[in-house]
Amino acid sequence: MSELEQAIPLSRPESRTVPAVRSRRLSLHRLKLREQLLAYLFLAPSLVLFGVFLFYPLLQSVYLSLHSTDPAGRIAGFIGFDNFAALLSSGLFLKGIKVTAMFTLLTVPAGILVSLVLAVLTRHLLRGKRVFQLIFSLPVVMAVGSAAVIWKFLFHPTLGMLNYLLELAGLPPVAWLINPDTALLSVSLMTVWMNLGFNYIMLSSGLLGIPEELYESARMDGAGGSTLLRRITLPLLSPTLFFVLVVSVIGAFQTFGQINILTAGGPIDSTNVFVYSIYREAFVNFRFGMGSAQALLLFVVILLLTLIQFKWVEKKVHYQ
Amino acid sequence: MTIRRAGQVVGPVMLGLMLLLSACGNNAESNTNSNNQAANEGKNAAGTAGSAEGTVSAAAAPVKLTWWHSMSGAGEKAINQIVSDFNASQSAIRVEAVYQGKYDESLNKLKASIGSDSGPDLIQVYEIGSKFMIDSGLITPVQQFIDADGYDVSDLEPNILRYYTIDDKLNAMPFNTSNPILYYNKDAFKAAGLDPEKPPRTFEEFAEAAAKLGKDGKAGASIAIYGWFMEQLFANQNAEYVNNGNGREAAATESLLASEAGVKTLEWWKKMVDEGVAANLGRDTDDTDSAFAAGQIAMTLNSTASLRNMVEAAGDKFEVGTGFLPKPGDAKDGGVIVGGASLYIMNNKPEEQQQAAWEFIKYVASPEVQANWSVNTGYFPINKAAYDEQVLKDNMAKYPQFQTAVDQLHASGASAATSGAVMGVFPEARQIVEGAIEAALNGQQTPEAALKDAAAQITDKIGQYNATVK
Repeated sequence: MSELEQAIPLSRPESRTVPAVRSRRLSLHRLKLREQLLAYLFLAPSLVLFGVFLFYPLLQSVYLSLHSTDPAGRIAGFIGFDNFAALLSSGLFLKGIKVTAMFTLLTVPAGILVSLVLAVLTRHLLRGKRVFQLIFSLPVVMAVGSAAVIWKFLFHPTLGMLNYLLELAGLPPVAWLINPDTALLSVSLMTVWMNLGFNYIMLSSGLLGIPEELYESARMDGAGGSTLLRRITLPLLSPTLFFVLVVSVIGAFQTFGQINILTAGGPIDSTNVFVYSIYREAFVNFRFGMGSAQALLLFVVILLLTLIQFKWVEKKVHYQ
Repeated sequence: MTIRRAGQVVGPVMLGLMLLLSACGNNAESNTNSNNQAANEGKNAAGTAGSAEGTVSAAAAPVKLTWWHSMSGAGEKAINQIVSDFNASQSAIRVEAVYQGKYDESLNKLKASIGSDSGPDLIQVYEIGSKFMIDSGLITPVQQFIDADGYDVSDLEPNILRYYTIDDKLNAMPFNTSNPILYYNKDAFKAAGLDPEKPPRTFEEFAEAAAKLGKDGKAGASIAIYGWFMEQLFANQNAEYVNNGNGREAAATESLLASEAGVKTLEWWKKMVDEGVAANLGRDTDDTDSAFAAGQIAMTLNSTASLRNMVEAAGDKFEVGTGFLPKPGDAKDGGVIVGGASLYIMNNKPEEQQQAAWEFIKYVASPEVQANWSVNTGYFPINKAAYDEQVLKDNMAKYPQFQTAVDQLHASGASAATSGAVMGVFPEARQIVEGAIEAALNGQQTPEAALKDAAAQITDKIGQYNATVK
C-alpha cells in the first residue's frame, strides 16, 4: 500500500492552491466527497459484477438452505435449519470434510514440493532450460476435462498404461480408481501433475525475483548449496510460497472436474469430496436446499482456513 | 476536472467489462449454437427439396418446434436425419433438434427453463425420469392426443408401452429403447471347450463358464457396477424393486432392494469376484467394453444399443455372440425392462404447437422412421411393423446378434416387475445401489448388510421426495 503511494504520487487535494482561505475548509470537504465518489465509480463495475455473480447467489443460497425444494427445484416449504441438522447428524458433512482434507493433504504439499524442486533445478540450468521450462509448465494449458479423460485411459485397470508399466517391471497391477483404498490416491496423483504447471510457473518467477548478488556474496562468504537454499532462496521465496499455498488449498477444496470424470465420487464415496457432493445433491438429486446448506458450510470452512493461514502462516513470510 | 478525466477512463473500462460479460454469455450458449448449426447443416444436406418447399410455404408461416434431445454421435446424426426428412416431407411444421447434453444435463436445463418460454416443445427424457416428468405437472400426456386422434397403438411394441403406461395412460411416446444382454466371445468359448452356440442362461452356468474362460489367474468375465443391471437382474427373477406394485399402483414408499432376489444376485456377483473368475472393472461400461474388445474378458453385460460398437470393436479378432440376461437357476420366469428414453410434450406451449409436436411424434413412431432409427443406432424399433421394412431385415442379416435382443424383449412376461419400477428418486437410487455393490465386492460389508443399508437410504429419500410432491 505504502509502496503504491510512493510509486504513484497522486495529486492530493491539500496541495492544490486554493485562492480564498475562508472557503478552504468547505472546498476541502467537497473535494474529499468527490474523491470518494470517484473511488466508488471506479469500484462500480466490479461491485456490479460481484453483486450479480457472487452476492446475489450467496443470499439466494442462504434462502434456499432454509427450504425444501420439490423435484423441479421449486420451493416446497420452509424447514428452518433442518437441512443443516440433517447434514451434521447424518455424518455427510464430516465424511465430506474428511475426504476433502485427505485430498488436500495428499495434493497440496506434494504439489508445492515437486514444483519447488523442479523450479530450483531448472533455474541454473545452462542447456535446454527453455525445453524443461516448457515441459514442466505444460499442464497449465490443459483443461481439467481433457486431462482427466487422458488419465482415465492411463488408469484403466486392464488396458491402462500405468498397469502395463507395472507389469513390465514385474509388479502386480493396481486397481487404481476401482479400489476404495487407492482411488483417492490416484485422483491426487493426477491432480498433483495437473497443478504442477501453475505452481512451477509461480515459483520459477518468484525465483527470478531473487537478486543474483545475494547468492554471489553468500558464496563468497563460503555458503554451500544447502545453506543458500535454506537461508536465501526459501525466505525470499516465502511470499510466493505463501500465495501458492493459499491458492492451492482453496483449489483443493473446490476440486470437482477430475472427480466428476474419473470416479464420480466412488467407489463407496471414497472420493466424494465436498464440492462434488454439493453438485450431486443439487444437480443430480435436485435437492437445492440441501445443496445450498452444504455450500454455505463449505464457505465457512474455507473462510476459517484462509483466516488461519493469514494469521499464523503469514507470520513466517518474509516480505522484502 | 478529475471527474471528467475519470469519466474518460470509466467509459473504456465499462466497455471492456461488458465485452467480458457478453463473452461469458456467448460461451454458455455456444454449445447450443453449434448444435443448431449441425441441425441446420443436416437440413441443408437433405437436399434442395426442403428449401424449395420452404419458399412455397412462406405465405402460411410454419409452426416452429424445438426438440431437446440427448443423443450424441451416431444417435445425433440419426436424429438430424429424421428431422430434416420430416421438414422436407411437409410445410406446416418446422422442427429444430437441439442437443442439450446428457439426459441429466438436459433435464437440468428443462428445470432452469421453468416459468419462461425458453424451454422446448418436445423433450427426450430417460426412463428413470418418468416419475419426475409426471409429478412435475409440466407435460401434456400423449394419451390425450392418442384419444383425440383415434391413434392406433396396437402396432407399437406392447412390452415397451407397458413401461411408459402409468395410471392407465401413456404419458410419453417411447422413442429409443434398449435392454441389457449378455455379450460373449465365441472364439474364447471354443478355446475353453464350451459350446459357442450355447451361452450361459443361469447365474450358475455363468459362473462356471467364467471359471473355465479365465486363464492363468485372470478373470473370464466382468460386469460393470451399474445400477441398471441390478434393476434388470431383479426383473429377470420377476422380483419387484419398490413396493406398491413396483410403484405403479400407488406412489412407492419403500425400496425392496434387500429382498431375496437382491441378496442372491449380489452374493453370486461377489462370489465370482472373490474367486477371481470375474473382474471388478469399476462402474463404467466403457471399461468393461474395452476389456472385452481387447479379448481380456470373454463375457460381459451391456445394453443392446452397444451391439454395433461391440461387434465392430471386436472386428476380425473374434466373433461376438449374444445371449439372454442370466438369472438364478431356480428363479421365477421374469424378463427384462425397457431402458432408454421417451418423448414428452410440454404443456406450457400453445395448443397449436402441442398439436404439431404430436404430428411429429406420429411421424417418428412410423415403421419406416423406426426401422432406419434402429439400424442407425441399435435401439429397438418401437413399432412392430418396422421389422417388415427391408432396411431392418438387411441389418438383421448383417448383425444376427441383434435377434437375441428382440427375442429377449418378446420373451419377457408381462408383470409389474418387468414393467419396471417407478420412483421419483431413481437417479439417486442408482448411485446408492452402486455404492452398495462396491461395498460388497470390496468386502467392506456382506451383500445382505450392504443392500439393507442401501434400501433404508432409498426408502428415506423416497419419503423426502413424496413429502415435497403433493
